[in-house]
Amino acid sequence: MAKFRTPLVILLAVLLVGLVYLFIASISPERIANRAETPETPADVALLAEETRTVTLFFPREDDGLFVPETRSIPASGSIAQEAEAVLNELIKGSSKGLPSALPPEAKVGQVFVTKDGTAYADFSKDLVVAHPSGSDAETSTVFAIVDTLAFNFKSIKKVFILVDGEEKETLNGHVTLDRAFTPDFSLVAKD
Amino acid sequence: MRIIDRPNKKGGTRTAKAGIVLVAAALGALLFLCPAASAQQRTIVLDPGHGGLDVGAKGKFGAVEKDVVLAISLKLKALIESNLDYRVVLTRDKDMDVSLENRAALANNNDAAVFVSLHANGSFRKKAHGSETFFLSLNSTDEESRKLAYQENTAAGVGDRIVEDDKNLIQMILWDMAQSAYVRQSSRLAEIIQRELNVLLATENRGIKQADFKVLRGVACPAVLVEAAFISNPEEEQRLIDDAFQARVADAVFRGLSAYLRLLRRD
Repeated sequence: MAKFRTPLVILLAVLLVGLVYLFIASISPERIANRAETPETPADVALLAEETRTVTLFFPREDDGLFVPETRSIPASGSIAQEAEAVLNELIKGSSKGLPSALPPEAKVGQVFVTKDGTAYADFSKDLVVAHPSGSDAETSTVFAIVDTLAFNFKSIKKVFILVDGEEKETLNGHVTLDRAFTPDFSLVAKD
Repeated sequence: MRIIDRPNKKGGTRTAKAGIVLVAAALGALLFLCPAASAQQRTIVLDPGHGGLDVGAKGKFGAVEKDVVLAISLKLKALIESNLDYRVVLTRDKDMDVSLENRAALANNNDAAVFVSLHANGSFRKKAHGSETFFLSLNSTDEESRKLAYQENTAAGVGDRIVEDDKNLIQMILWDMAQSAYVRQSSRLAEIIQRELNVLLATENRGIKQADFKVLRGVACPAVLVEAAFISNPEEEQRLIDDAFQARVADAVFRGLSAYLRLLRRD
């Protein structure tokens, strides 16, 4: 038995060294740097895979409030819900061109859930309501920036139901009714 | 048990009869004494937006929507009562919370001829300015009618008790859709009020628009929501806190209402 064991141990050791070498070689210095900088979240895993997708965000322009598109790159996770969350997070971060944002920066995205019939349930923290400036213009902007942005980027999202702290809310601040899913209104997007 | 019941019933009927006579006499006296309160006088319900904890939109200089719209509504109430044969009911006459449902319910309980919700606008855009008048959008109707159809379908062929429950649900859904029957009249009212706002306020004409505003949904009469200028715009905020400007907003809505009610009577 001992005679057989020695070559087996050597074989296993060689295999192990080979595997370790392959593993180290597969991680480029760039990736290692990435990993060291940020904690590992699903988004970062996607970043490691180096797959991103370009998405379009809508921000109201100062003079007439019509939406102007702005593109961003988000990690392509393959999951609509995760990508939709990333898109909404970008929307909250605001415009990189200095346009007003239609969502208060304090708002946080909870989860996005998409049903088979194409209704996306987009959940936000209550900051969406508390930090909201109120006014029917502001409410309409918020609702349709969310709905139009999601429907524009995801073919499978036909309408959007906005939730606050996981629950249905009557309105954001007394105007637009939130007890139904909204279909997008692309007439609010600037043509020029 | 029955023996005890009988005298009670008789007593009850007697009391009821006496009560009816008393109420009739009181009503007769009321009609005789104050002809202004005759059955013909109808009600206009004015709804100063927000109130209480809900301050509404806020201005840079500290003005809040709830105060501005209450001041305008009180001026408008005075104008209507001294010039038109209508009674005015306010959804709030002081700084207090009123639910959106109760605002609509107040209009329906008073059999209102017209419902006007008064607001000042707020925006994420600092320069947003102008005035506009809203009436209910019908975008939600297909959704609602689908809900209704579902209720009707599921009500068919099930036990009596469940049918009872569903009837209440349908009632509730119908109540929520009440405004759908008045959208055309509301659009006319919005048009007329907006025209007067343009003439009297010299604010930018943002036109008449449709939106699914909760406060309008359950109102069973012509109903509009006026957004007079933007409190979020510092220039317009200054105008909104000005007494003369508030009086002009009230006057514009008053003129619009008068013109609309004249049309209504002619039809």
